Amino acid sequence: METKLLVAIDLSENSLKAVDYVGNMLSCHGTVQITLLTVIKEPSPDTMPDEEQRKSQVEAWRSKTLALMERAAERLKATGVSEKHIRLKIQICTRPVSVAELILREQQNEGYGTIVVGRRGVTKREEFLFGSVSSTIVREARHCTVWVVE
Amino acid sequence: MNESEIREKIECYARFPERGKLRILTDTTEFMEVKAGDVLELAGCCYLVRGEEMEGRFGLDGEPKYWVKRAIDLSNGTSKVLKLVFHESFIMNLGEQRIRCFRSPQKEARVLDKTRNDPRFMKGFNVLDSAGNLVRIIDKIKGAPFLEYINSLTMDHETYFFKHFPKIFDQVFSCIEAIDRLHRMEELHGDIRNDHILLDRDTGLYTWIDFDYTYEWFESPFGVDLFGLGNILLLSTGKGFHNVPDLAACGPIGMKMKACLTPEDLSLFFSHRVINLQKMFPYIPDSLNNVLLHFSQGARIFYETAEELLNDLKACKTDLPY
Repeated sequence: METKLLVAIDLSENSLKAVDYVGNMLSCHGTVQITLLTVIKEPSPDTMPDEEQRKSQVEAWRSKTLALMERAAERLKATGVSEKHIRLKIQICTRPVSVAELILREQQNEGYGTIVVGRRGVTKREEFLFGSVSSTIVREARHCTVWVVE
Repeated sequence: MNESEIREKIECYARFPERGKLRILTDTTEFMEVKAGDVLELAGCCYLVRGEEMEGRFGLDGEPKYWVKRAIDLSNGTSKVLKLVFHESFIMNLGEQRIRCFRSPQKEARVLDKTRNDPRFMKGFNVLDSAGNLVRIIDKIKGAPFLEYINSLTMDHETYFFKHFPKIFDQVFSCIEAIDRLHRMEELHGDIRNDHILLDRDTGLYTWIDFDYTYEWFESPFGVDLFGLGNILLLSTGKGFHNVPDLAACGPIGMKMKACLTPEDLSLFFSHRVINLQKMFPYIPDSLNNVLLHFSQGARIFYETAEELLNDLKACKTDLPY
């Protein structure tokens, strides 16, 4: 049976650590299908009223994200994961939704058995104000395994 | 209205009528140039500008907010606040946490529309000026800010808690319900402060004002508002804020109290502010004190929605001295 694993990464260098961990753990696993997922949040018209500016911002993030994901894929390959088992996915959101919810929805819709997320090490105050994707995923995930890479 | 009709209305409604030449403006883009004595003609109505509203916090006392004009509606003489378009982005301190904040006229206009039928929010409407700027025309609320009201109460805490607090708690609870309703409409207040609730003298209601702050997307969309609600609960329960240095200045009793406090009893955001008020005022019931502790350094879990906070506060009602 095919094993499907969803690795949620963001633009931070830190999230590449999660990719390295996955590669090192699973390179000997011949059939594992690894999807690298990134969510890009379009700025709200409230914070960036100019539509053209918003579009060019998203485009800039998309290029940067794609470059990062390609680097991540290269790192996976370097650990021995076959290219045919690596999939890249960028999701662009135009309205404010929870990134954790999007990741969990993706897991349910596509039947991933494992979610992997990096942990950014936010402070308690930051967690209060801004929330934490990894904490929400750990709390809300059902019918799958969650790996949180520090 | 032509100029002579406008002058007539000014004579009728303004205490100090304009003697010189009248400037009638329809474009508010250059809001710094809109001065007291000017008339703004917006969507067919005329407003006599009386001056600017003043900033009242963060060491900016007396600083005029040039984009917020005090005005008289010349159709009926009522006092209005005209908020003109001004975009800015700046770093704000929420206690010891810094956060980028944006001023958004369209966000405030949207909240005004969505809360039109709720008396717990300031009332107003939105019009476009001749240059397409979104102007918010807001009814001036007569009444003291919540912070000023609490500070004006002179009795000791025990008398306050048993005689006055339950009624205040009910009003604060209603304010939090209003914010919960706003959140369900996918909007933030954005600037919940103790002086952004006014005690409306006409309706007797506690009323939220000023909705033009907004933020980038966060995983927890309501965290900033919940931070503000925690401060309001703390202020109302404690009849003011209680800081460790103030205790130290209270002689032996204060020093003894200070010795009982651990970091877990203090605020997550203001490291000298006491959250565990039960240690100071033992008659505060556990149920209410436990709600406050969600905002302390010792908290293990935080409220993520106003609904969660309201559910816990509902349970407190039976323990309060009604």
